[in-house]
Amino acid sequence: MNPKHLQPDVPECSLCADPAVVYQRNAGRHLCGAHFTADVELRVADTIRTRRMIIPQDRVAVALSGGKDSTALLLLLSQLLPAWQDVRLIAITIDEGIIGYREETIQSAERLTRHLGIEHHCISFTDLFGDSLDTVLKGRETQACSICGILRKKALVVGAQQAGATKLATGHNLDDEAQSVLMNVFRGDLPRLVRNSGAGSSGKFIPRIKPLSLISEKEIAMYLMLNDAWNELPECPYTHHALRREVRSMLSGFEYMHPGTMLHLMESKKKIERYCAGSLISAPLHACRECGDPCSGDLCQVCSLLRSLGK
Amino acid sequence: MKLILPDHEVLILEHDPAPVEQVLLEQGINPLEVIVTRNKKMISEDTVIEADDEIRIIRIAHGG
Ligand SMILES: [Zn+2]
Ligand SMILES: [Zn+2]
Repeated sequence: MNPKHLQPDVPECSLCADPAVVYQRNAGRHLCGAHFTADVELRVADTIRTRRMIIPQDRVAVALSGGKDSTALLLLLSQLLPAWQDVRLIAITIDEGIIGYREETIQSAERLTRHLGIEHHCISFTDLFGDSLDTVLKGRETQACSICGILRKKALVVGAQQAGATKLATGHNLDDEAQSVLMNVFRGDLPRLVRNSGAGSSGKFIPRIKPLSLISEKEIAMYLMLNDAWNELPECPYTHHALRREVRSMLSGFEYMHPGTMLHLMESKKKIERYCAGSLISAPLHACRECGDPCSGDLCQVCSLLRSLGK
Repeated sequence: MKLILPDHEVLILEHDPAPVEQVLLEQGINPLEVIVTRNKKMISEDTVIEADDEIRIIRIAHGG
């Protein structure tokens, strides 16, 4: 008897007959670890190319939290970029100051950049805004993710500018993106639904790119595990308060029952963007009275947040 | 079969051979939210698991 038949219940890779690690429901095929890894790399390269996310001579700053998505992003880019002309990678880590959570992920980020030989910059909320996130959030825990999001975005832009980056890459995956669409709909926030995406505009903005936006959260976790980069890291303690948590579990239930749900949400968003083109709801840009950043009102989001925090 | 759940709790099940997917659903777990390994090797959701298998279920935590 052929030894293979000793385990008749292990499905085989549709491309090479090795044991499968995944059944891709959309493509209707099984893949082994090596072919799955190659498939993820191919799809990310394709996203970057068709959306012109990276061009020759770019200096790409990767927002590296040390968590799974950004770790996968840095691994993938460092794997893919040698094929691009003169593109350089740097990693930027933001230390928000979250006790019992950030220490481990920062160490993981440091190990990874050292291993890959990638220039690494670290910026802390304390350096930039005068306080750690933990301090800022006392009594405001329910707003944790929105406050942190605004400050982290600013910190990343500062880090990217200091590093002379021409692009800022984040590890947002398909699940994140689909959740954001739904959350903006739930909140009745159409302008934000449309505004979020842009590859960025000219002038002071460093264009943001999301090379993993068509890769699911599970695929990212599998990619890491198959490439020995899986770490069981703590989850941010503030996510317990977040609406995103509920949306995440609901949406992944829908995706399981109705494969393609997340991609359909992304298509809906694109259609809305097209319909809105030109008639965009946002006011003309001014310079922020405090910091000079472009914004729609008198004060930018960061400065008005800092003001409301008594800074 | 022996199931090691995401919170490391160990569950011994009297179960006929069945696809991983079915066992997960019976435990109230969405297969999209976990990775399953047998003998430290990742397996696809339609892999049939048997009485003497030890199966580890790893939850995919959210986070950047
Ligand atoms: Zn294969
Ligand atoms: Zn400002």
